[in-house]
Amino acid sequence: MIRRGNALKRTAGVVMALGLVATACSSSSDGDAGSDTGDSVASDEPADEPTDEPADEPADDSDVVESTQSSGGRLAAVQEAGVLECGGNDTLPGFGIIDADGEFSGFDIDFCKVIAAAILGDSEAINVTPLVAAQRFPTLQSGEIDVLIRNTTWTASRDGAEQANFLQTTFFDGQGFMVRADSGIASIADASNTTICVLTGTTTLLNMNAVLGDMGIPFTALEFESNDELQPAFVAEQCEVWTSDASQLAAFAANLDVETAILPDIISKEPLGPVVADGDTEWAQAVNWAVMATIQAEEFGITSDNIGSFADSEDSGIRRFLGLPIDDGDGNEVIAEVGLGLPTDFASNIISQVGNYGEIFERNLAPLSLSRGPNALWTDGGLMYVPPFR
Amino acid sequence: MFERILRLAIILGILAGLYIAYWAVRRSSRADQDAPPPWRDSRVLVIAAQVAAVGLMWSAADYLWANFRARTKAIGLDLNFDFLDQPSGISIADSPLNPNAAIREALSTGIKNTFLIIIIGIPLAVIFGTLLGIARLSTNWLLSKMATVYVEFFRNIPVLLVIVLTWSIFLNAFPPVRESWLPFGGRFIFNNLRFGFPSIQGGDGFGAFQILSIIALLAAAGVWIWRSRLFDRTGAPHHRVLYSAGTFLAISLIAYVALSRPFEVTTPEIIDRVYVGGITMIMPYAAVMVGLVLYTASHIAEIVRGSILSVAKGQVEAGNALALNGFQRYRFVVLPQAFRVAFPPLINQFLNFTKNSSLAFAVGFAEITGVIQNLFGQSRPAPQLLFILMITYLVFSLVLSAIGNLINKRLQIVGR
Repeated sequence: MIRRGNALKRTAGVVMALGLVATACSSSSDGDAGSDTGDSVASDEPADEPTDEPADEPADDSDVVESTQSSGGRLAAVQEAGVLECGGNDTLPGFGIIDADGEFSGFDIDFCKVIAAAILGDSEAINVTPLVAAQRFPTLQSGEIDVLIRNTTWTASRDGAEQANFLQTTFFDGQGFMVRADSGIASIADASNTTICVLTGTTTLLNMNAVLGDMGIPFTALEFESNDELQPAFVAEQCEVWTSDASQLAAFAANLDVETAILPDIISKEPLGPVVADGDTEWAQAVNWAVMATIQAEEFGITSDNIGSFADSEDSGIRRFLGLPIDDGDGNEVIAEVGLGLPTDFASNIISQVGNYGEIFERNLAPLSLSRGPNALWTDGGLMYVPPFR
Repeated sequence: MFERILRLAIILGILAGLYIAYWAVRRSSRADQDAPPPWRDSRVLVIAAQVAAVGLMWSAADYLWANFRARTKAIGLDLNFDFLDQPSGISIADSPLNPNAAIREALSTGIKNTFLIIIIGIPLAVIFGTLLGIARLSTNWLLSKMATVYVEFFRNIPVLLVIVLTWSIFLNAFPPVRESWLPFGGRFIFNNLRFGFPSIQGGDGFGAFQILSIIALLAAAGVWIWRSRLFDRTGAPHHRVLYSAGTFLAISLIAYVALSRPFEVTTPEIIDRVYVGGITMIMPYAAVMVGLVLYTASHIAEIVRGSILSVAKGQVEAGNALALNGFQRYRFVVLPQAFRVAFPPLINQFLNFTKNSSLAFAVGFAEITGVIQNLFGQSRPAPQLLFILMITYLVFSLVLSAIGNLINKRLQIVGR
């Protein structure tokens, strides 16, 4: 009998203890929510970095940086990891595709290289994660990639609801429609009741629905996840019309066996550029100025071939841009420091390793017979205009 | 981060210390001298192990949740469901969904499309799989070898490949819209976008006809029960299929004549790219359906084969002794017993079928996964959408397995 009583008491004690633990835990999670969250933000930020004490180091950082500039610590994390995690495309000729050597190449991929050259000094220190359109933002939100450069259109809702931070536009595009040359469709107005192939999870799809809806043109939308299925569907005439950014259509048309025509209607503005996640201004600015340096370099006329000849340039703007020492008038040589957290010679690294904007364009997009159009420098009547480097 | 786990460990440690102290006090005060020390007391150890396991699981969950919340807060992502009322901006092929309709409507269209795959596909897969399973056991060498090759081929390639393969074959085997294949004098339409079939179109009195059809069905069911009971009582041949079908057809025919042609048969036509009349099925749907049925049937065939083999050989011999023919032996002796064994693993295949239907979006059929993938790209919050997606499949699976378990319970031998 005694034993039984003891057993009961023991059980009761254990149950009470469990209750105690539960209350202790729940109260701690409520009470310390603020501080815990603060720590874990910092520890989560360098997500790919296998660091032993994630909580400590970035927390120290936030003490040091006292300005209003928010520092998520990604710049430091990337520099420590020594490799840039880049979200890209692997199925779009000219912009992002796996080439014959099994390497990623293209216009967007070159901008990954530009950022790596600026931040790490090595344009090859990139790791490209191929993403389908619908996965871009979840992947960016999760912190799995440092920067997303995957022909992604800058829109208000993406900036807002998607917690994305769009940077310098690298390519000004517009949405177009492609049909077979013998289809008898000469403009969108002729395309009523056709089937239109489009990639799922894109602004292209939203524009198509909005514009054709406003024009009162009925159509059937076939939405594919990847161009690997969309292209055969178009070739087999499952859909009469293929809509996408005009540059992409030109890129695909160059590789198709069928004669195609691009309709004259351009229904949208599609500014494409690199994207980073919200909440880390330091990182966003570093990426942004690295990208803008390519455009500034073209404006200065600096290319990967002639950059050596600028080492003794007299132009102080160019010297500052390339991180060359400037005479301060008293005979002292100083190197301008702009405080972006980038090495002073980041522009030189970019130009010598990847090239200026014009070179990147020529290398990747000229073979698809795309002309500069709105992507020419502002001095040539285009839209490529960047703030001064000083 | 880890300090909370540490805190939990410390609290548990203190509790353990307190309990040991309690035991020591009781022993020294001679209240309970023969109690073993807690670290050798199996009852205490069992409870301690459970507390530790719960603590460990709680810590893991807490770590993951805190990480998730920290990340969503860092990027300013709200975790509410207000976005469901926003216009979706997307359209879904062959559905009347307006791009300006709310996201919840787009989601329900997606769920409807998933349902359309499951409700048609699972019965087809069961029928085809059962035939295949029987064919594998056939004494006809060619038939059994062909079934074996089929099963081994489809069972051993990924289902996504089967779906994309079916889609590619359909895409290239059927002509484009402008050269549509029109068999049976244009009563059917086959092209690589849509398949059109004849259908019925209701006219005056169609509502009354539908009501009468339901009455006819009920009458047929009554006849079925009557014939079955008669058979059970007297052993006279019941012919219940014949009687029921006859009842249904007779009532329907009378209704049709009485209501003076309440419906007409329409055949599909393409006029200026618009499909008029009949019913149409979009090709990706057919491709997904055929792909999933071909794949799942290969698994079901193995289940059926195994369960047929599990029926004692004496049962077949008894059937032979009663001079049953091959069909009767399967229908009345082997299959009823085999299905009792086959059903639990079959439910598993139904669940797999449901989950595999999520691969349809690869070929452009917008079921729920496709719709949600699409919304991911349209600035809609991924965590909530993923949650909705998981709940959807969970509900589908739980309902299916509830139905399955119900049937399974009825199939089981009543224990005495």
